[in-house]
Amino acid sequence: MMYLLEKKKINTELSAWAKDYEVITPQKVENYTQFLPFDESSTLELTNPHNTRYPPKALFFPQTETMLTYNSRLGRFEETQVRDEPRIIFGIRPCDASAFALMDTVFLSEDYTDPYWKTKRESAIVVGLGCNNPPQTCFCTTVGGGPFNHEGLDALLTDHGEFFFVQVLTEKGRALFEDLPLASEEQVNEIKKIQKKASDKMAPAFETKGLKQKLDIIFESSYWEKIAESCLGCGICTFLCPTCFCFDIVDEVQRKKRIRNWDTCMFRIYSQEASGHNPRPSNRERTRQRLMHKYSYWLDQIGEIGCTGCGRCVRYCPVGLDIRAMLRIASQQESEVIHA
Amino acid sequence: MHDNGHNPYKPIPMHVVRAYYESNDHSLKTLELTFDHHADQVEFFEKFNPGQFCQLSIFGKGEAPFGVASAAWEGDFVRFTIQKLGSFTQYAHTLQPGDPIGMRGPLGNGFPLLDWLGKTLVIIGGGCAFSTLYALTKHVHHPQNRQDFEELIVIYGARTSGLCMYKHDIQSWHQRDDMQIHQAIDVPEEDWDHHVGYVPDVVKEVAPSPDNAVAVVCGPPIMTKFTLPVLVELGFPPENIFTSLEKRMKCGIGKCGRCNIGSKYICKDGPVFSLKELQELPDDI
Repeated sequence: MMYLLEKKKINTELSAWAKDYEVITPQKVENYTQFLPFDESSTLELTNPHNTRYPPKALFFPQTETMLTYNSRLGRFEETQVRDEPRIIFGIRPCDASAFALMDTVFLSEDYTDPYWKTKRESAIVVGLGCNNPPQTCFCTTVGGGPFNHEGLDALLTDHGEFFFVQVLTEKGRALFEDLPLASEEQVNEIKKIQKKASDKMAPAFETKGLKQKLDIIFESSYWEKIAESCLGCGICTFLCPTCFCFDIVDEVQRKKRIRNWDTCMFRIYSQEASGHNPRPSNRERTRQRLMHKYSYWLDQIGEIGCTGCGRCVRYCPVGLDIRAMLRIASQQESEVIHA
Repeated sequence: MHDNGHNPYKPIPMHVVRAYYESNDHSLKTLELTFDHHADQVEFFEKFNPGQFCQLSIFGKGEAPFGVASAAWEGDFVRFTIQKLGSFTQYAHTLQPGDPIGMRGPLGNGFPLLDWLGKTLVIIGGGCAFSTLYALTKHVHHPQNRQDFEELIVIYGARTSGLCMYKHDIQSWHQRDDMQIHQAIDVPEEDWDHHVGYVPDVVKEVAPSPDNAVAVVCGPPIMTKFTLPVLVELGFPPENIFTSLEKRMKCGIGKCGRCNIGSKYICKDGPVFSLKELQELPDDI
C-alpha cells in the first residue's frame, strides 16, 4: 500500500507533526547539509541527490554525549536523563537508515545494552527518502543494500512529480501516513519502475564475493603499506562513516561530567597502551584495521558487511583515497600471493 | 552475562578498605575494595569468576582495566594489584583506606573452570600479570573447589624477589601438600633457595606432564611468547593452553571498539583465550 504526500503540503505536514514530535530533516547549513530540528524558518534539502555530509548516526550517537555526572560532595557518579522525546527523522537516505540497523547489533546486543543509544533509537520514527539518481560515489548495491532499501526504516518515500509516494513499512510508519490518500495501482507500478531503474543504474563498484577471504589472506602483505602511503590519518573517513561506532570516554573535570566522544582507529593514540606498546603503530596497521573491520570482522560477527556504501569516505577524503579502489586492488592482490 | 537493565557505564560505588605496597620498590600496590551497597556485592559475587577484570573508575583520571586478584571465598572485598605506570595508576597509588572509588564489573569471560573440572592445573605466571592467576590459585585452594581438580602446579617468576607479589601467602604454599609451587627470579640473590632463571626455562625444568592437564600462562608479552612453544613441546595441545590478553580499553563491554582483534573484542569475548583461539586471530596484538 502506498500513500500520496503532496510536495507543496510538505511544510504543513511537518509543522503538524512538530506539535507532537521533534521533527528532524536534512537542511542546508552554509555549504553543507545536516539533519536538524525542523521549524518554520528551516531550509529543507530534499532534492540534493547526495546524503548529508554530517552522518545522521549523530541523532542516536552524538559526536559528544554526557554519560554521567559527578557529584563531588559524595564522590559518586550519577546518571543523567537521556532524551526520550518522540522524534521523526524525515528524509534519511536508505544507506544511513540501514547503518542504524548495523549499529543496533553493537549497541543493543543481548549481553549489554547501551542505554544512550537505546532510548533515543526507540523513541524515533525513521522516514526514508529513496535515491532516484544515486551519485557516482555511492555503492550501496555493491554491499547488499539499494537506493530504495527498507532496512532500518518505518516508511520510505519515493520522489515523483508533484508527490512523495510513501511506502509504509511498520506500524509506527503507518500511524504517520494513514490519513493520506492512497496511490492508484498504476502509480504504484510506475514507482516500482523508478526504483528498479535507480538500482539498475548502479554498476558494481567491486567484487564482494570472496573479498573477506582475500583480505584475511593478505593480512601481512605489503599491500597495506602501499595503500596507507598517502593516508594522512585524519580520521574523517571514520567520523563521517554511518557505521563507525568507536568512542572514547573522557572526564571533563570542570563541568563535572563523564562524556563520550566519537573516536577513530585511524589515530595513533587510539590503541596506544600505558606501557608504551602500540599494536597499531603506523597508518599501515590502522588502515588495515578500518578496512578489515568493515569487510572481514563484521562478517565474522554478524554475517554482514559493515559498510552501507554511502560514499562519504570517498567524497570527503582530503587526499582522494577511495575505499572502492582499495578493495579492488586488494582483490587483485590475492592472486599475486597465491601465485608467488 | 547480562546487565540486568543497569546502566553498564555507571561505576559501582566502592571504597578502599586496605591499601598496601606489594613490591619493595613501591611500583606495585594492592587495593582491596568493599561495596557501599550490599545488593551490589551480592550481584558481583553471583557473576564473578576468576580471570575476570574490572574497570576501576576515578573521576578526572578516567578508567582503566585491572584483573581481579582475589577469590570469592576470601571475603566481602575485591582485590586489585596496580602497577604505577600512567596518570590513573599514579593517582590510584595515593588512595587510602576509606577513600571512594568506582568499579565496573566483573567484566570478560574469566577462566573456563567448568571445562577444567577433574584436570590438573598448570599455572604459569610472570611479574604483575600473576594477579588473576593468584585469584585462580586462591579459588582452587578452597576445600570445596580443591576436590574439583587433580594436581595444582604453580610456576611464578619475577625479576627480583622484591618484585614477587603476595609474598607471605605464597611462602606458605611451599608447606602445602596439595600443590607444587616453583618460584623463580631472573638473577641470583643471597638467601634465595628457589629457581633462578626465566620462566620459559623454569617450565622446561619442571616439565609438567600434559596428561589430563591444562596450562594457563599470564605474564609480560615476551614471557608468554617464549613459554607457549615450551608447552607445545611438552605435549600440551593448543586447546589446553590458555592465556589472558591485555589491550587498551574504554567501555569494557564490547561497544567502544578499541580492543577489537579480528572478530573478537578482548573485553567481552576474552580476556582469556586458548592458544587455539589465538592462532585463529590475526596477529594484531
